[in-house]
Parts: sequence; structure tokens; C-alpha cells
Amino acid sequence: MIRNLWEYRCLVKRLAISDFKIRYKNSILGFFWSLLEPLLLLLVLYIVFAYAFPSTQENYHLFLLIGIVLWDFFTKGTSMGLNSIIGKPGMIRQVYIPREVLIFSSSLTALMMAVLELGVFFIFMAVSRVIPTSTIIYFPVIFIILFMLIFGSSLAIGALNTYYRDVQYIWAVVLQAGFFASGIFFDISTYPEYIKNILLLNPVARIILISRESLLYNATVPMWDLAFCFASSIMILIVGYLIFIKLEPGFAEEV
Amino acid sequence: MKIIEATNVSKAYKIPHEKKTTLFENLCGLMDSKTGYETFTALKDINFSVKKGEWLGIIGHNGSGKSTLLKLIANTIRPTEGDILVNGKITSFLELGIGFQPDLTAKENIEIYGSIMGLSDHDIRDRIDDILEFGGLTRFKDTKIKNFSSGMVVRLAFSTAIQIEPEILLLDEVLAVGDLDFQKKCFEVFENYKKMDKTVVYVSHDLSSVVQFCDRVLLLNHGKQVGIGDTEEMIGLYQSLA
Repeated sequence: MIRNLWEYRCLVKRLAISDFKIRYKNSILGFFWSLLEPLLLLLVLYIVFAYAFPSTQENYHLFLLIGIVLWDFFTKGTSMGLNSIIGKPGMIRQVYIPREVLIFSSSLTALMMAVLELGVFFIFMAVSRVIPTSTIIYFPVIFIILFMLIFGSSLAIGALNTYYRDVQYIWAVVLQAGFFASGIFFDISTYPEYIKNILLLNPVARIILISRESLLYNATVPMWDLAFCFASSIMILIVGYLIFIKLEPGFAEEV
Repeated sequence: MKIIEATNVSKAYKIPHEKKTTLFENLCGLMDSKTGYETFTALKDINFSVKKGEWLGIIGHNGSGKSTLLKLIANTIRPTEGDILVNGKITSFLELGIGFQPDLTAKENIEIYGSIMGLSDHDIRDRIDDILEFGGLTRFKDTKIKNFSSGMVVRLAFSTAIQIEPEILLLDEVLAVGDLDFQKKCFEVFENYKKMDKTVVYVSHDLSSVVQFCDRVLLLNHGKQVGIGDTEEMIGLYQSLA
């Protein structure tokens, strides 16, 4: 798979960039609209949790925003991965390109969008005069792990959705549940031990938790957490790949 | 040297009585054992090989399995039985303008289409002006192709496609879409490929072009291989089939 992706790197790059452009091109403000969505969510959650149920969290707006940005990356990446095969029937039926190219490029498009949103996060951070310390070096590693997780999940659900079109509805529900379970607007680490342990089985929740520690609270990320996230995304990547190669031969007939 | 070798290739499609496209329908189907499927054999026991530099024509009536065979060679679908070995990089010309995105400009679409067809970044950059000029579209290079006429889209696709330097080329009824002028251009390109010793699998109903270009012909009828061999002989056999 890696060899295929490398051989078709030009196409991967072009597809990722063109999808990115298409998302924004029809309106000059397209790019700002795309940022507006997470920002509005930030505003709503901030109002609810800072005023209605005051949170004791230090720099709660940054706490929220990084959660939203990372969750948004996961949501967008997997949703685009979900449609990456059925959305390009011509490229499946009429030519042969390794199909993982389509899924990988959709994950890359999401990555580009996430980097932009992260930019906004860092601007917020600067405005709030929160200076990250050396623990920020963990963040790129965490971010790459999240990308692997997204690509792995996309391989599985993109392939499954080609055969079973209701996977997209099931996935929408999973995402909705994930939004509430991943500790985006609350701090999982303050919960009782057993609830915490269950919630942190979800790699995205753990990724959000340790990202906050590295970016906002100058805490050294425990190796155990990093290892857990890495191992679970590798596992999802492998399982996703196995599902993908099992289903791939029939794509042209099912798409 | 054999570039393409097919041994005992068969392809069967499942035709379900009710097409199940969702998980839900599939789960319901488990409980109801009556709904099954029929198999439709599109190709049965096909054997042939193509040497380097050879043009193999595939002829047969509609529904004889020509396009299925081409798709099998292209690797977009996989045989139910048998093997197809391919030595080299295939460029398939089954449809013009695959992956064209209406919301992108002509230039951007050339870049994507070019990389689908296997052109490198470098080649695309070098040739993009030639491509636009050949199609007579230089003025419209920054126009989104949703604003193009259908003729312009075809010209854009064709002028990009002929820039590829294929090792193995699959051609399916490319002539059917264009006018006379377009066909003339196609023939010029074909002559060129012939000179350059490219390996080509050519599917067409236009028998005169088959005679003109193909070294050998494979004749299919209802998914079965009637014969493979000399062009004139196979065309004679084809005409006697009807």
C-alpha cells in the first residue's frame, strides 16, 4: 500500500489539493465560512459552559477550542473518507488507480483544513497570552497519530460504505455519540476512575486530553498515554487495511 | 515477450432479484432465505496473449463481453476464475475525461486528468500549454469547465489523453463520440502509437479501423471465445455470425 501511495504521489497531491479548493472556491469567503462553523460551536459551548454551568477550567475557551479543532479533524476526515470511493465512480469504474489513493487524499484534504483551524487556535492562544512551553513538542506526534487514526478508520468505513450505503448513517450516529463522549467540553480526567478509564478507551478522547496537557497545561505527556494512542491507531490502521483489501476487488461493481 | 496473458478467464456477475445496497437490507435478507440471485456469465474461458508492439482487436456483438474483458485487463474488476497477467503499465482509454471536476478550471483539470493517466508533475508542467493549444482552448485555461460546451470538454480530454506515453493502451470505442475531424485526429494518434511500437488492445465496432490497425483479432460471442487469429478471417467469421 505504501508503495502504491508513493508511486501515485502526484495524483494523491493533486486530488487532495483540488478537493480542498473545490470546498472553498465557490465563495470568496468560503475559507472563512469553514472556520466559522467551529468558531460558532465554540461560542455556543462557551456560553453554555462558562456562564450557565461555570467550568473551573483555566483558559476554558482554549480548552474548548483545541477539543473542537481536533474533533472537527476527526469528523471531517472520516466523513470525507466515507464518501471518497462512492463519490468518484468514474475513477473506480473507468480507470485503474490503486483505490487507497482516493482515501488517502481525502484524509490529506482534512489534514489541510485541520492545519488551518489549528492556525486559528494558535492565534487565540497568542491573544490570550498563553505561551506554550517545551511540552509542545509532543503535539506534532499526537497530531500524526490522529491522522493515522483517521486514515485507518477511513479505509474501513470508505470500503464498507461502498457495499452497504447505510454505513454513512450509522457513522453519523457514532460521530454524534463521540462528540459527547470525547471530552470536548468537559475534562475527562476529573471524573471518577472507572468512568475515566472507560471513556479513555476511545483514542480520540485520549488524544484530545493529552493534546491539552501538552499545549495548555505544560504537563509532560505520560508515555503510557502516548503508547496507548499510537497502538490503537496502528491497530485501527491494520484492521481498516484488512477490511479494505478484502472489499476492494468488488468496488467497480458496487460503486 | 508476452505483455498480456489471459488463461481460462471467466467473469460471472451476480444478479440479485432484489439489489441490496444497505446493511439493513442485508440483515433482513438473512432471515428471508427465498431471495437469492442468478449468476450471469459475462465471459467464459477466455485464453489469449498479446505480444509487445502488437495491436489486438476485440470484436463481437453488443453484450458479447468486450468491455468486460477490457475492464478485466485494466484491473478495475477481477475475474471470477482464471488469471490475467500484465507486464507493464496500463493506460486505459475507456472513457474520456475521467475525474473532470466541473468546479475546477481547465488547467487544474488537465493536471488531475494527467496524473490519473500517469503523467508526472514535471511532464504536465511542460506540456500544459501544448495541450491547451492543441484543443484550441488557450483562451479558456482559467475558465471553470462547468462553463464549457460538451465539445470543448471532449477536446480538452482528448488533447490531454494523447499526451500520455503509454506502455500498454486499452481503447474502447473512442471513435464513437467524435465527429469526422475528431476521428481523423484519433487516427493520426493511432498511427503514431503504431510507429512507436506500443501494445494496444482495441475494441471497436468500426471494422474498417480494426482492419487498418489490428494485427490479430479476438472474436467474442455471448461471452465465449469464438476464435483468435488473422484479422480478415475473424471479421469474416464475425459477419457470418449475424
